[in-house]
This record gives sequence, structure tokens and C-alpha cells, in this order.
Amino acid sequence: MIETSALGVAYPGRAPVLRDLTLRVDAGERVLLLGPSGSGKSTLLRVLAGVVPQLVDADVSGRVLVAGQDATTTDPATLARDVGTLTQNPADQLCLPSVEEEVAFPLENRAWPRERIEQAVAHALARVGATHLRHRRTAELSGGEGQRVALAATLAAAPELLLLDEPTALLDPAAAREVGRLLRPAGGAQVLVEHRLDEVVDLPDRTVVLDDDGRLVADGPTREVLHDEAGRWHALGVRLPGAPWTARATRRTTAGSTAAGSRDVGTRTTRVLRARGLGVRRGGRDVLMGVDLDVHAGRVTAVVGLNGSGKSTLLLALAGLLPYTGGVEGGSVGLVFQQPEQQFLTRTVADEVAWGPRRARMPDPEGLARRALAAAALEHLADHDPFRLSGGQQRRLSVAAAAVCGHDVLLADEPTFGQDGRTTAATVALLRSLADEGRGLVVVTHDLALVADLADDLVVLADGRVLAHGPAADLLSAAPHGPLRTAGLVPADDHAQAHA
Amino acid sequence: MTSCSPARFGRALAHDSVLHRRNPTVKLVVLLAVSSALLVPVDVATPTLVGLLLVPAAALAGRLPARTLATACAAFAPFAASLLAVNAVTRDGDVLARVAGLEVTRTGLVVGTSLAIRTLVVGALAVVFTATTDGPRLMTSLHQHARLPARVTYAILAGYRVLEGLPEAWTTIRRAQAVRDPSRRRGAPLPRDPASLARAAFALLVGALRQGERLSVTLQLRGLGAGPRTVLRPVPLAAADAALALVALGACGLALLASWRAGWLLTWSTLGSSSP
Repeated sequence: MIETSALGVAYPGRAPVLRDLTLRVDAGERVLLLGPSGSGKSTLLRVLAGVVPQLVDADVSGRVLVAGQDATTTDPATLARDVGTLTQNPADQLCLPSVEEEVAFPLENRAWPRERIEQAVAHALARVGATHLRHRRTAELSGGEGQRVALAATLAAAPELLLLDEPTALLDPAAAREVGRLLRPAGGAQVLVEHRLDEVVDLPDRTVVLDDDGRLVADGPTREVLHDEAGRWHALGVRLPGAPWTARATRRTTAGSTAAGSRDVGTRTTRVLRARGLGVRRGGRDVLMGVDLDVHAGRVTAVVGLNGSGKSTLLLALAGLLPYTGGVEGGSVGLVFQQPEQQFLTRTVADEVAWGPRRARMPDPEGLARRALAAAALEHLADHDPFRLSGGQQRRLSVAAAAVCGHDVLLADEPTFGQDGRTTAATVALLRSLADEGRGLVVVTHDLALVADLADDLVVLADGRVLAHGPAADLLSAAPHGPLRTAGLVPADDHAQAHA
Repeated sequence: MTSCSPARFGRALAHDSVLHRRNPTVKLVVLLAVSSALLVPVDVATPTLVGLLLVPAAALAGRLPARTLATACAAFAPFAASLLAVNAVTRDGDVLARVAGLEVTRTGLVVGTSLAIRTLVVGALAVVFTATTDGPRLMTSLHQHARLPARVTYAILAGYRVLEGLPEAWTTIRRAQAVRDPSRRRGAPLPRDPASLARAAFALLVGALRQGERLSVTLQLRGLGAGPRTVLRPVPLAAADAALALVALGACGLALLASWRAGWLLTWSTLGSSSP
């Protein structure tokens, strides 16, 4: 199905992202593709789909055969007769106004007769549990629903090869498990890139690992590759499935943080923000009700809950960005949004960080900015355009730009959204260091591993109400029976993972 | 979101009507034909006559409330007024009055009024068209009946998806940027100064362009452009559509004929050689 020999890929003006890759995947075979950020996993999938170099310019050397066709010269639309692609974001994959049109579209493009399309659409939607969505508008779907519809559109024509690029990355835990479950063998070959291996119930039997330089460093049965050399992959920044949360938490100390002690002492440090009876109504519906929250200096409070539980609304209310009832009092508040690009105000990294201090007329904003960039390991990019940085760099920049203003409280919405193990670790270290400077942090996330890594306190939200509020360690260890289970954040049958 | 939010853009009003059920391409062609025919007369009577015949009939066939129609047409009023004003003072002819050092001529007033009425008539018909036509059905129909390439119609539909998301992205961006200001007070309104709006617009544009690029890749990865294609829900083209075209274009033609026979019709070439 796939045959590459000595494949090398380099984007213009950059070092090669894939080197000398020789890989063979047979019809019906499933492969898990692992590697650190920047190791060329996504690039490999894009080469196999014909996107690189035909739609995105790159130098490609070596040979790539997909379903017997040269993927570097065959039109991606023609290649798509045999190849289905699913990526992270439903917003990038739902092109048409209604669900039915979306799922029928690839079949219309294959010139299938109408009766056959009718059947295939019904079948594909049923397969992903989305029959009830058939006549909905794509713009009105939730993230999980959207991703299921995108999967249905990918599977509808039963392609012989499925390319899956982190299909659960942007979903909440319940939706991720749902989509993960749906990725079970569909009959065709699969290449799966996925960081959230806990959510994919049925991992492929074979695993291929790429290293930092884009070279193939392991290829074998998944069980052997993952367990025999777990330490090596961990060092490469590859997240492994089933690793207990406490084991992940140790990475916090190796990442250079001094927080290990501060989590246990100073439980009653200065309160920097106090919210009482917080409520928000939007579109005639209560999205937040009766929320009490105390934020203490030096401590990180994580807020978890499924999509629609009111997490992001809580942050907007705490920052005073939307009308709310109840009371919020305390120090100044900074908020880091989910998508860094939506927050950028200037055209250079240095200006971006100096913007807040200049606005507040702080003394020596340039000096402040320089030190903040150094702390975020971004000083070498000072003259770059924020919009042209990588995802991980953009995230650190947006945190640094908020932190430099010296707010008492820093709120962050999904700060590790769509990032891999290594960039996540860098963001976690940066956030932890801000708490250690004496700020109060509130972090909204759907990533329980991040909670274990970072949080002192945990708030569990469900349907706009606080389901539980307490020390993160206690709530995590009670996961299989406690409020995390009630909120749908951990599955009932997942004892092995939840016993940290 | 209110009912007039941009999320409604490209969506027909929810009710059903005779016009809702007509073929979108036929409706579009009729609209363009009437609009082109109205390029000919520059007198006041002809476009008024065409408007009096077609606009109430279209509103009735589309079951469009007069108030909705009037509100939507108000958007064309400033343009119509500016046409009248500019023409009134820039054409040669008998001077009727002097306003602020400018000469208002009889010919100018006639031509200006004619063009203003034409704008309002075509505007009203366009409003009826958009209120009774679903964007995606129009695209499917243009592909089926007007032989517009699928690459074009689907690119427009994907662009429509980007547009649908813009209002929400705009709000998010303005909040995200407002909170960057350390001197901002809790609950203060979002900044509305031109510089802030320009920065938000830039971020919005970058986001929209990137999403558009990714959607265009997705269209190809779903096989668009790989050869002949079928359509799951073809848009019907029926005798009733021919009837619609005949009635609308016939009425328009009759109005022009009547105006000519009555001696009211003035065109760009007869302008100045005779008087109304």
C-alpha cells in the first residue's frame, strides 16, 4: 500500500524534516507513527496524501509509491480515490454547509450513482454514531460531533489507506475516547499519528518511531517498541500510553522547576482573587451558576470539565470580559486565550512582549521584554513575526506577553491545546515558574496529565456548576469513583490508568 | 445571535413560498436580465412602471413581509440618493436651480431620479432573491445548469464556511486583544478605536486566510477535481421555472413597450434630442 525508499523532505530554506526514510506498509496493515515535535510525522502523512510537494512547496527526494502511484506527481484529488485523510481540527475539514452534503461530497467526486451514495452516507454516519446529525448544519456541531462527521466523510468511500493525523488532539476526554474507539480497523491500511494514546482503545500492532532529525529509529511490534525502549522515547519527548500520572508528574522537577515543595506547603497563602456566586447567562441559557472560587498566590488551580461545561466562560467572567452576576474581587487579571494568534497585536516578537508594559507606562519596557523573552527561551526570535512562529513558540510568546504585565492572577485557556509532549513540557515549566514567582494561576484544560503535572487545586465543572473543588492529588487518585468519573472525564472501566 | 446576524448570510428565510421552490439559476438569470433591461431607460416613468409591476409580485410570490423588504431596501437608499445628487448637478441642460454654487439641470434631475429608482427596484428584487434562495442550492444549480466548474462552486461554499465563523472569531479576537491591555478595568467595554479595530481585523484576516487554505486542501483530499462527478441532491429544473421566467421577463418587456408607445421612454441616445 505504501512504499517509500530513501525519502527525504526539506521545506524551502529549512533543514530537512525527513531523511532517508524507507518504509513499507502492506494492504490492511495498521501502523502507529511516533516521534517528537518537528520530527516530520505530519510531513510524512502529507507526502503520502500528495499534499507535499504538490500543494505545499518542498524539496522531495527518493521514491514514494502509494497504492501503486507516485505520490509526488499524482494529483492529490486522484490519489484521494484510494487515500482518506483525517486531521485535528473539524473546522479545517468540514467544507460544506450541511452534514449530509459533507459526507456525500467525496462520493460525488468519485462519480458514484445517487442510490449508492445515499446508502454509503447512511452507513458511514451510522458507523460513527452520527445518524441523528444527518440534517444538521456543520457550523452548529460541537468539536466531537464535527470530528465524527469528518471521520464519516473520510470513511464513506472505504479508502484502502487511512492517514490519521492526531484525530483526537482537540477533543475533550469523552469525545476523544469516542473518536479513538471509532478508529478501530476499518479494513484498510492505516497510518496513525497520535499523542493521546490513552484514548485510542485499539492501538495498531506495528509502531514506527522517528527521531528529532526525521530519521526512522525504530520499527516493530507496538508492544515491544513501546515497552522495551520506553526511557528512550520519553527522552525524545514522545508521550507513551498508560504511563501513570504520578510518573508524568516527576517530569516537572526534571524540567527545572522548584515547585516540588511549594505544592505541599503554604496551602493558605495570600488570596489574590475571590469569586462568589458567579453566574453567566448567554443566549437565554445559564452557562455558569453559583461558582465560588479562591485563587491563592503561588498556586495553580486547574479547571476541568467536558466541552460546554462552562470552563472558558468561567475564565471570561473572571477576567471581566463578559457580563456576569455575583462578585469577583481581587488583583489584576491576565488571560491567555486558546489560540495565540487571536491575541497578537504587533508584528515582532519583541514588540509583542513590550506592548503591555508600554501601555501601562512601566519603566524600561524594552528591558522587561528582553528578560521575559529570555525566560520563555524566545530571545533569538525577537525580530521575528509572531504570526510566523511555530505553534509551541506562539504559545510561549502569548504566555510571556501576559506574564510580563505583572498581573496578580494569570488565567490560561487550554495552554497545551494541540501541542506535543515536548512543547507541552516547556509550557508547563513556564506556567509553573510564574506561580512560583507568587502569582495565582487558573488553568482550564481537558488534559488530566497536565493537571497532574501542574495543578495544586482542581475544580471539576459539569453543566455550569462546580461538581468538586479540592486538592488536585486527592481528586485525581479518586478518579475512577469520584467526581472526575461523574463529570465523564475518566471512563468507568479505566482503573489501570486512573490508579496513579 | 439575533435573527439578522451575519450567520444568516446565504440562507433563505425559513418559510416556504412559490419563489423558494423555483430554480436558483433561473431566478438569478431573471434578476440579471431585468437589471440589464433597466440599463436602457433614463426616464422616470419606465423604471417606476417596471418596479410597480415586478416588486409587489415578487414580494407576494416570495411571501416576504413588506416591512422586511422595506428594511432590507433601506440599505440601497443612500446609494440611490447619491446617484440622484451627483447626476442632478453634473449634466448639461436647462438650469432649474443653483445650490451651493452648483447648477441643478432638468436633464440631470430626470436621469438622476431614473437611476435612483432603478437602484431601488433592482435592490428590492435582489433582496427577494436572497431571501428565497439557499446559497448551497444556488451553487449546486449553477454547476448543474450554468456549467460553472465544480472547483469554483465548492470553493465558494468553503469560503461561505469561513464567513459563517467570522462573527464568533471577531468577538473572541476583540476580547483576546482587549485583555492584553494592563490598564483595562474589569467589565470595561471592548475598545472601539480605529487602531484596536484594525489590529483585530488583521488577526481575523490572518485566521480566515489560513482556514481558507486548509479547507482548499481538504476539498482536494476529498477528491474534488479528479474527474466527472455526480450530485446526490440535484436541483430540479421544471416547467414552472420557465413560466416564472416568461411571466417576469414578459412583464418587464410589456412595461418597456408601453412606456415607448406612450412616448415616455428616454434612452442614453435619445437623451437631449427630445424632451420628456
